[in-house]
Amino acid sequence: MTTPLLDVEDLRVRFHLRTGIVEAVRGVSFQLGRERLGIVGESGSGKSQTGRAILGLTPPPGEVTAKRLAFDGIDLLTASKRTLRTLRGGRISMVMQDPKYSLNPVMTIGEQIIEAYQAHAKASRNEARDKALAMLEAVKMRDPGRVFSLYPHEVSGGMGQRAMIAMMLVTDPDMLIADEPTSALDVTVSMEVLRILDELVTERGMGLIFISHDLKLVSSFCDRVLVMYAGRVVEELEAKNLREAQHPYTQGLMRCLPTLADDVRPLPTLNRDPSWAL
Amino acid sequence: MAGAPLAEQPSSLRAWLLSAEPNSRWQARLGRFYLGWRAFTRNPLAVVGLSVVVLLVLVAIFADVIAPYSPVAGGDLRTQRLLPPSATFWLGTDDQARDIFSRIIYGSRITLFVIVLVALIATPIGLLVGTVSGYLGGWVDTVLMRTTDIFLAFPRLILALAFVAALGPGIENAVIAIAITSWPPYARIARAETLMIRNSDFIAAVKLQGASTPRIILGHVVPLCLSSLIVRVTLDMAGIILTAAGLGFLGLGAQPPTPEWGAMVATGRNYLIDQWWVAAMPGIAIFVVSLGFNLLGDGLRDVLDPKAAK
Amino acid sequence: MLDIQNLNVVYGTGRLRVDAVKNVSFHVEPGAAYGLVGESGSGKSTVLRAICGLAPISDGRVLVDGQAVTTPRGKAFYRTVQMVFQDPYASLHPRHTVDRTLSEPLAIHGEKDAEARILQALREVGLGPSFRFRYPHQLSGGQRQRIAIARALILRPKVLLLDEPTSALDASVQAEILNLLDDLRRRLGLTYILVSHDLAVVAHLCERLLVMRNGEAVEETLAESLRSGAASNGYTQALIQASQGFTRVASQPAQALAG
Repeated sequence: MTTPLLDVEDLRVRFHLRTGIVEAVRGVSFQLGRERLGIVGESGSGKSQTGRAILGLTPPPGEVTAKRLAFDGIDLLTASKRTLRTLRGGRISMVMQDPKYSLNPVMTIGEQIIEAYQAHAKASRNEARDKALAMLEAVKMRDPGRVFSLYPHEVSGGMGQRAMIAMMLVTDPDMLIADEPTSALDVTVSMEVLRILDELVTERGMGLIFISHDLKLVSSFCDRVLVMYAGRVVEELEAKNLREAQHPYTQGLMRCLPTLADDVRPLPTLNRDPSWAL
Repeated sequence: MAGAPLAEQPSSLRAWLLSAEPNSRWQARLGRFYLGWRAFTRNPLAVVGLSVVVLLVLVAIFADVIAPYSPVAGGDLRTQRLLPPSATFWLGTDDQARDIFSRIIYGSRITLFVIVLVALIATPIGLLVGTVSGYLGGWVDTVLMRTTDIFLAFPRLILALAFVAALGPGIENAVIAIAITSWPPYARIARAETLMIRNSDFIAAVKLQGASTPRIILGHVVPLCLSSLIVRVTLDMAGIILTAAGLGFLGLGAQPPTPEWGAMVATGRNYLIDQWWVAAMPGIAIFVVSLGFNLLGDGLRDVLDPKAAK
Repeated sequence: MLDIQNLNVVYGTGRLRVDAVKNVSFHVEPGAAYGLVGESGSGKSTVLRAICGLAPISDGRVLVDGQAVTTPRGKAFYRTVQMVFQDPYASLHPRHTVDRTLSEPLAIHGEKDAEARILQALREVGLGPSFRFRYPHQLSGGQRQRIAIARALILRPKVLLLDEPTSALDASVQAEILNLLDDLRRRLGLTYILVSHDLAVVAHLCERLLVMRNGEAVEETLAESLRSGAASNGYTQALIQASQGFTRVASQPAQALAG
């Protein structure tokens, strides 16, 4: 078997707080190939911390340990700061929830894409500019030239998120981590953004980790789904087999959503079994 | 009231205080206070500051008991003038042959009087002006804030001097002068906080219950502004003590023979080279108390206003 | 119970003029649940805010129980109409205990018997008396929203305005709150107006709904026709499609949007 793109074994994230140690991620293991992997869970399940830990973005009091955390054979835990910097934003990229907070408000969108590109590729300014414009076109901006010279506050949420994706994909990364990339967007807009993301990921053969609370969305978008609960993966399954989920938590999550298809009343609620968290 | 567990040993008391399901209003309030207290005591400097302030209060209350001599009546002017610190006169004597230690002890009453009075006058004015101005907005805001600006534009000591000059010297007039110059910054802080609070959902919710504007301001806005204001007032106390002492030093605050610390420093000025203790001892008292308030204020900020601490 | 006639809400003037709601009309029967659906900027929340007086009524009329509302609203209005907000983390006063939060409306309206009514309100939303003296930070998101509902119900209003009451909550908690709201409506005979971006939530709770877009009413339809897919409007269809999850087939709601 070839080396997977990302190999995670027994990943743990601990926070040393005044009140004691809180373990946000408790032994998560998975492998990612050139596929779309979804991580689903409710708030506090550790799904976002998993994504951050892979990128080395765990906030200060946190501590990351793992038996193995390797990207394309490179051990991310022992790699030098420099190696990590080159990987991050170069071969690994991340799209965050809200473009409002992840784009620099005092730089035009074009400048930001150029900067992201030049940080990882030796290119002249003209080349970088062409690349940035091509990227904006790839994310289906109607008028790339105009968007290029706009500031983030001048574009809508959907456009901002597409600009963010353009910026993150300009370096042709091998792996993209998307943390709730569409939660701040309207449904119709988010479908558009997802469609663009889907095309790019498929075309370029990237590995994608899609982190979301929305089981329905993730299962329709991804190939494989990890369901997390209380810092652990409680179930891993093929997205198309979601209906045959075994774990009561996954089943509960699926059933408790109201649907247009049928009218269940009252909605089944989730009885959290303490043994799930063990 | 669930008072019974109070008598038991500390561990169960703590459990009672930290209970996730308080049984009464008081338990909830005390529990909250206890959490703040725990955060506060984690900062040793803040505890030092608090001790200094508590000490000041105790000394002021028990001045009669602590002070060995009268603060006003001096000893023998021929033999007991300007004596250096000794076993009889712990901090020496001044030019009127009065015991400096006793004078500092009694002086704490004046300092405390100034602090309490300024806090009692300036804080409510600032709080009211700021919250009303921020909550109502419009022309009320414009009028109130421009007035505040006018007061802010005066240098504090100069305005205080003008006031004292107009009303005549004396500690009460000094207090009024200081209070009048210290409320504008509080009004600004309260207004800034109010602007953040007034558009929040919980204010909209209480509006939708039909609450009157005074009720919203007093019951819902003020409590949220109060903590940052308490911090600011505490931090300002050092400045207020210094202003009071400064007025005293200039002869415009407390009048002799009142043992006011600033006035004491002023008398010591003439003997600074040969009899340094006359000026230095009250100076140290001013320094320690000011530092105490600053440390306390920093500690309170960490507890009450976590945003500003970061 | 509630009649909205040609409602317009305008903010600002001149170049800064924003028409948040344009000529929206609908009628809600007593005991019915009416949904307002749309994306951000559709004006659905503004309609709600205009009804209860948090947004200005620039033109048109709002009638409650056949009576046009006055500005500012009187105390009687607030006894009839209450609101539940979207974010339970922002809608409870951070320094007030549950007890204080619930006793405030009673005190404002000079109600007697606060003790018993607070306990009853807590019971109604499925919380025990042990929650009475807790601060909001000691509660989970779902519990906070239950307190917010209890606060809205404690004056025994007839109409409850629900502004995205579950969108800040986890899916499993959302189910609990939806069940609670469903149950309360039946038990207390309440009239609901629910604002949400989630079609499934609106269809679950309401019988009739209004689809809004850019401040205008697009289509009034029944939850039943949403379920059967009988909605006629292209935009409504696009919303239905999007709510089903991601589809890799080349269906383009973006085109439907452009139309």
